[in-house]
Amino acid sequence: MIAIAPIAKRFGRGLFAIWAVVTISFFLHAVLPSDPARIAAGPQARPQDVAAIREEMGLDRGVLARYGIFLGRLVHVSSETPPESGRGKGAHASCKALGPLHFDLGKSYQQRRGVLTVLGERLPRTMMLAVVALIFQLLFGVTLGSWAAKNRGTFLSRAFMSGSLLGVSLPTFVLGVILQYVFAHRLGLLPLDGYGNTWPEHLKSVILPGLTLGIYGAAYYARLTRDEVEGELKSDYVRTARAKGASPSRALVVHALRNALLPISTAAALDLGALVGGAIVTESVFRWPGIGSLGISALLDRDGPVLMGTVLVTAAAVVLSNMLADATYGVLDPRTRK
Amino acid sequence: MKPAGLRARFLRQKGTLVGLALVLALLAFAAAGPWISSHDPFASDFQRGIAGELPVGPSREFWLGTDRIYRDQLVRLAYGARLSLLIGLMATAIASVIGGAVGIVAGFFEGGRGLRIPWLSVAAFVASVALLPRSIPLSLGLFGAALIGVLAAQITGKAPLGAFELNLDQSLMSFVDVGLSFPFMLLVMAVGASFEHTSVTTILVTLGLTGWLGTARIVRAKTLEVRNREFVLAARALGQSTPRILVMHVLPNVRGPLLAIATLSVAQMILAESVLSYVGAGVSPPTPTWGHMLFEGQEVFGAAPWLFLGPAGFILVAVFGFNLLGEGLRHALDRSDR
Repeated sequence: MIAIAPIAKRFGRGLFAIWAVVTISFFLHAVLPSDPARIAAGPQARPQDVAAIREEMGLDRGVLARYGIFLGRLVHVSSETPPESGRGKGAHASCKALGPLHFDLGKSYQQRRGVLTVLGERLPRTMMLAVVALIFQLLFGVTLGSWAAKNRGTFLSRAFMSGSLLGVSLPTFVLGVILQYVFAHRLGLLPLDGYGNTWPEHLKSVILPGLTLGIYGAAYYARLTRDEVEGELKSDYVRTARAKGASPSRALVVHALRNALLPISTAAALDLGALVGGAIVTESVFRWPGIGSLGISALLDRDGPVLMGTVLVTAAAVVLSNMLADATYGVLDPRTRK
Repeated sequence: MKPAGLRARFLRQKGTLVGLALVLALLAFAAAGPWISSHDPFASDFQRGIAGELPVGPSREFWLGTDRIYRDQLVRLAYGARLSLLIGLMATAIASVIGGAVGIVAGFFEGGRGLRIPWLSVAAFVASVALLPRSIPLSLGLFGAALIGVLAAQITGKAPLGAFELNLDQSLMSFVDVGLSFPFMLLVMAVGASFEHTSVTTILVTLGLTGWLGTARIVRAKTLEVRNREFVLAARALGQSTPRILVMHVLPNVRGPLLAIATLSVAQMILAESVLSYVGAGVSPPTPTWGHMLFEGQEVFGAAPWLFLGPAGFILVAVFGFNLLGEGLRHALDRSDR
């Protein structure tokens, strides 16, 4: 039987973490010096318009009351069907419905649309970048790492490993610009930045940002894999496998690497969460319209509701990936099952 | 015997020597830069060209060329080096002190007795949050009732409907969990963006106050190993006070790992500082920062690559140097444990 209690406990702790993050950022945002009503009304608005908007947004009330309203709107029950576009005047215009349950993060000051609609557009693109980046990372990292473990001590292996530390030290905004210059500007093979309009264009556009994040992360995975596989190669069961006639590459891939996969996949699950939270710098270098660049522009434009939305998505991604990491542990390592 | 052995192992690694050389060269450059080049980092030299034309390339007068408003690149890079090193080292110092203290305390008190929190108080607290939009006095009243419930449970030791225990370690570590699921870069940027003029102190304090979470986790794990060793038990049997045990017996034994994390953290802090100034949330111009110089150079990469490659190279050298030192330290410590 599956134990319910530990899972419920884990889930409760995750919810608590998300609530705490959202609460802290709500009050942080509330004390930041900016006037959301003025931003929403625009610089040329008359004072009475600004006052009307201030009242409409509830800004004339205290911080605690606004926090209460925010939490109450975040999840509420209603029978209305909210509009698909996230625009309009109604009380539930910026909601997203899941049956009778409504979720609402308010409206973006800049885009005049529901924050959830904006996030819903951005999230799949960030996920796409995250998955492509993770594939590059694991592909390069695990291959290079196990190769280096097998050829331990040789000149080439050592050179690769020093190179990987250099890769960890290379900021993504340096690597990204260099890749842009070489592949887009010089060779003209791939788009410089942006997202494109059709699927083939999306796929072409994701290569460079994916590669940027991929190379950066691959260096990390190469080091992790090398350390883990090296440890496994020394163990008794690998020697037994070799003695029973397994070829060196079979001993490496089937026996050693398989056991090293456990820490690697845990790291990958955690990594995925961080990537979904938005590779802020890479997304802004490549003008990739995802969660990370949304967060930055919301911050620079003082677009409070959108900022809260990105914070919520990021926190949820990290918490979920932590749970995913725990779950992979349970699936891959029978010893942790009960 | 052990310190000498450690130092020998540390210095025997080639990577360490390279790292040491890079860091020392960087320190020398930061210190002597303003004497190498006699130009003013803030003054434009308009005699060399007319605005709109290309920036001056590397020449005898300007060894690394000038930027787009004819300021000497070399001296600006040197001032940037001072700033990066200052922020990297100071922020790491803050983070190491907090992270070390939290980690040691949490690890030492792991499994100890803590506050008994009645489930009724939890329910009252949740209700008080839910009631915020309806009535603030009622909500605050419920919050007070929750607090009184917790207090009563400590004194009487009884709690109807049960209670759960929350000790120091659990509360500190759940704080760390929440902090780690926070979008770290967004938080730092929000602080940077909320000030009209961002000073060096603001950045280094923000980075220091947000960068200790990982350190605390690792130090806690190390403390868990140390706290049941004979010398700690002996000190306690001799009647030494807890603070004295923490400082005299636990701290010296987690000092090594703490130093290794701190060295790696300097690299991370320098990287974070350059990311902040790259996206425009760092120390305000006209103060020269590597990140901002890189951002400006990126736009003219094809025509004037030295404006990009200069700061990029320095960031790489700084981060790589401290990474090499930290890795070397970690390796040396690893072997001394065996």
